[in-house]
Amino acid sequence: MKTPSDIEGAGRGEPHRLGSMQTVDFPMTRYNESEEIDYVIVGVGAAGGVLLQRLSRAGFKVIGFEAGPFWDTERDWVSDETGSHKLYWEDLRITGGKNPLTFGANNSGRGVGGGTVHWAAFTPRFHPSDFEVYTRDGVGADWPISYSDLKPYYELMEMELPVAGPAWYPWGHPHGYAFAPHPTGGVGNTLVKGCTKLGIGVSVGGPVAILSGSRGKRPHCIYRGFCLQGCKVGAKASTLVTHVPDAIANGAEIRDLCMVSRIQYDRRTNRVLGIHYIDRDGRTRFQKAKAVIVSGYAIETPRLLLNSACDGQENGLANSSGTVGKYLMAQAGNVILGRFDELVRMYKAPPAHVLTEEFYETDARRDFARGFAIQTVGPLPVAFAKQMMAAAGAWGWGLRRVMMDYNHWSAFGLLGEILPSADNRVTLSEERDQYGLRVPHVNFDLHDNDKKLIEFGKKKVEDVMRAAGAKEIVQESRFAHLVGAARMGRDPGASVVDGFCRSHDIPNLFVCDGSVLPTQGSANPGLTIQALAARTADYLISQGTRIFSSDRREMIAPPVGKKFVPPDTFLGGAPRAR
Amino acid sequence: MTEKRNHENPKQRWPIEPETHRALPPREQPGYYPGYRTLDQQKAWDEATRRKVLERVEKIPPIRFFTADEAQLMAVIADHLLPQDDRVPARKIPIVPGIDEKLFHGRTEGYRFEKMPSNGNAYRLGFKAVEQMAMKSYGKSFLQLAWVEQEELLKSIHDGKPKAGADEIWAQMELHRFWALWMQDCIGIYYAHPWAWDEIGFGGPAYPRAYMRLENGEREPWEVNEKRYEWEAPEAVLSDPDEKETATHSEHPAQGQGGTH
Repeated sequence: MKTPSDIEGAGRGEPHRLGSMQTVDFPMTRYNESEEIDYVIVGVGAAGGVLLQRLSRAGFKVIGFEAGPFWDTERDWVSDETGSHKLYWEDLRITGGKNPLTFGANNSGRGVGGGTVHWAAFTPRFHPSDFEVYTRDGVGADWPISYSDLKPYYELMEMELPVAGPAWYPWGHPHGYAFAPHPTGGVGNTLVKGCTKLGIGVSVGGPVAILSGSRGKRPHCIYRGFCLQGCKVGAKASTLVTHVPDAIANGAEIRDLCMVSRIQYDRRTNRVLGIHYIDRDGRTRFQKAKAVIVSGYAIETPRLLLNSACDGQENGLANSSGTVGKYLMAQAGNVILGRFDELVRMYKAPPAHVLTEEFYETDARRDFARGFAIQTVGPLPVAFAKQMMAAAGAWGWGLRRVMMDYNHWSAFGLLGEILPSADNRVTLSEERDQYGLRVPHVNFDLHDNDKKLIEFGKKKVEDVMRAAGAKEIVQESRFAHLVGAARMGRDPGASVVDGFCRSHDIPNLFVCDGSVLPTQGSANPGLTIQALAARTADYLISQGTRIFSSDRREMIAPPVGKKFVPPDTFLGGAPRAR
Repeated sequence: MTEKRNHENPKQRWPIEPETHRALPPREQPGYYPGYRTLDQQKAWDEATRRKVLERVEKIPPIRFFTADEAQLMAVIADHLLPQDDRVPARKIPIVPGIDEKLFHGRTEGYRFEKMPSNGNAYRLGFKAVEQMAMKSYGKSFLQLAWVEQEELLKSIHDGKPKAGADEIWAQMELHRFWALWMQDCIGIYYAHPWAWDEIGFGGPAYPRAYMRLENGEREPWEVNEKRYEWEAPEAVLSDPDEKETATHSEHPAQGQGGTH
């Protein structure tokens, strides 16, 4: 299938570095615009990176379009909070509702690797209950797939990234991790202490997708604490270092600094024909493709579908159900901060490395459905100062005073499940961005169950902080992560895609990213998004060229494609010893 | 003029030693980590980080967004939001040029609250509000007010109970979000500066060298022990609740916006 029509180098004359040891295999394939390629993937982030790698390894012609740059980590990234703003999606979004969400550094990435470049890489799995919330509790929604459908892909991803964690992880479907847990930092010490005092089980040193031992061309973690500013070491998993190199080696093209503006739909055939995009020089262009996968995450994905409204798809592409943009979710991400007499120095080690899921499941003794997790967070000075501003109203000399005590503070994050709601949604504003595209407007309101859960969770985290020995406790209300807004489901009248991420309406249009999640549990969503991408890729590979020509919707799970994983997945190794 | 009047009595502006009640003279490096300098470790940093941090210390961006009057007003406001009177003049961290640079480039945090104008317009409306409040409540321009009067006025915004004079502006712009915008911009500049890292004992960049002493607040060999001293806020200051009163939070505490988990 693959006959690259044009090959060119990156033209930089020096290796393109991905982490401190890995370089990418340039020259990269460059396809002609006039050439009809197999798959266009919009967005090379958590899901897009995995899809690009799998599909190229399986021999498809595939281009990943990315609005941001293709990072050279050594040249482009810094160990610095304020200096890392370009890693975050900073294009305008308008945010409203009773509990407006914030974006940018909070949850939105830009550039190859997407959000995995600045995630904390905490990778707990979802629990089996997360896939049937409606059946069990009468709230939220059921997924069209079950935990057992995703389980082999969790196992695969935990090896591919890989995930470091304890040998025994007791919550949800109990399992263990092949890679050793990380040593505990000061903030982890306090969470272990608080939980242990209260008899709450706690997982130490993971699960986190950061190398605790070197593997392949990636060295182990050096505990520098700047995980959210991009891992220059290359120890933290991002698709930039885990999947993109193999994709390029297998002939995938990444067209970076290209903003996809619209998907071209053909009413006559009811198929998509390709995508319109604005290239790095500001020119509007068109790329033909046999199928399109949208992996733009929970704001840009619905925005692109809505901005692609056209004759025959007046409400936006794949939106006959009216659910595109609806059921957007964020998790309660309240941060509880505690001051200790002794020093903590929470800037060392990965911010997220200790957690408890003891309160994850619905508990009949509580007056709300579903639950929450408690995790360490390790805000660096700028983030911590902003938290003290929000949590304690600190300003002026009061702020200077509390900041002089930075090394005495510890921070725990509540991660609470917020249920999907149709009024939490992405729509298009009348305002336009620098490309002339309508910007997204996001509405977000908390509902009764959410508020009760947050109140209960906050108090529980405060109890743990007190038990750990904190003398002063403050808390900041905020939200973490984004999912939903193009959800999967069995009913084409109430969801956007099926269980294999294919849109109900258009047979060669797929959505595969966090936006397909019908509910979110209280686990960080990154691992689940990547597992879903690997499963979707297996489905596409098993379907072969039928995706490009047939309208038949085969709903049979493919075999788990272990042969399509990146080369070092099942190998150990000490790269420095080579 | 205001500067001169306030400095006639240093206790108005300088932190105070609690035992002697004397004003503490400005220092090269306030905070509890005397002698600690993150910049001394720059040889252990990667080149891109070193360049970024040194640029911040050595190159102050020019004022291009604010008018000269606006820049002057902002400088006085920033001195209240993030006071630095405990620092010797040569070691004050420039705040206004950093805010100006961000506004000049139209950089956002990636969103705008629906009831807020653009950041640039918010700053301009804020200046107008401060002036109108000063005229209405004190009959003088903000810059002509005594330091403690300026504190009172700004604290009224912090508390969510603004002094009269700018109601029509607060109808266009949410008060607590505007306050958060001011504070977050000041914080993003001050606590990004290596001199502020020295002040709070933050280890700073650690690639490629690494941190090795992770547990229980242990220091790296090149970090220094904490050496605390007592201080009280200056007399003409209302922003340190430990000293003056119990904490007053605004009615709608600003929601957190950073990415921590």
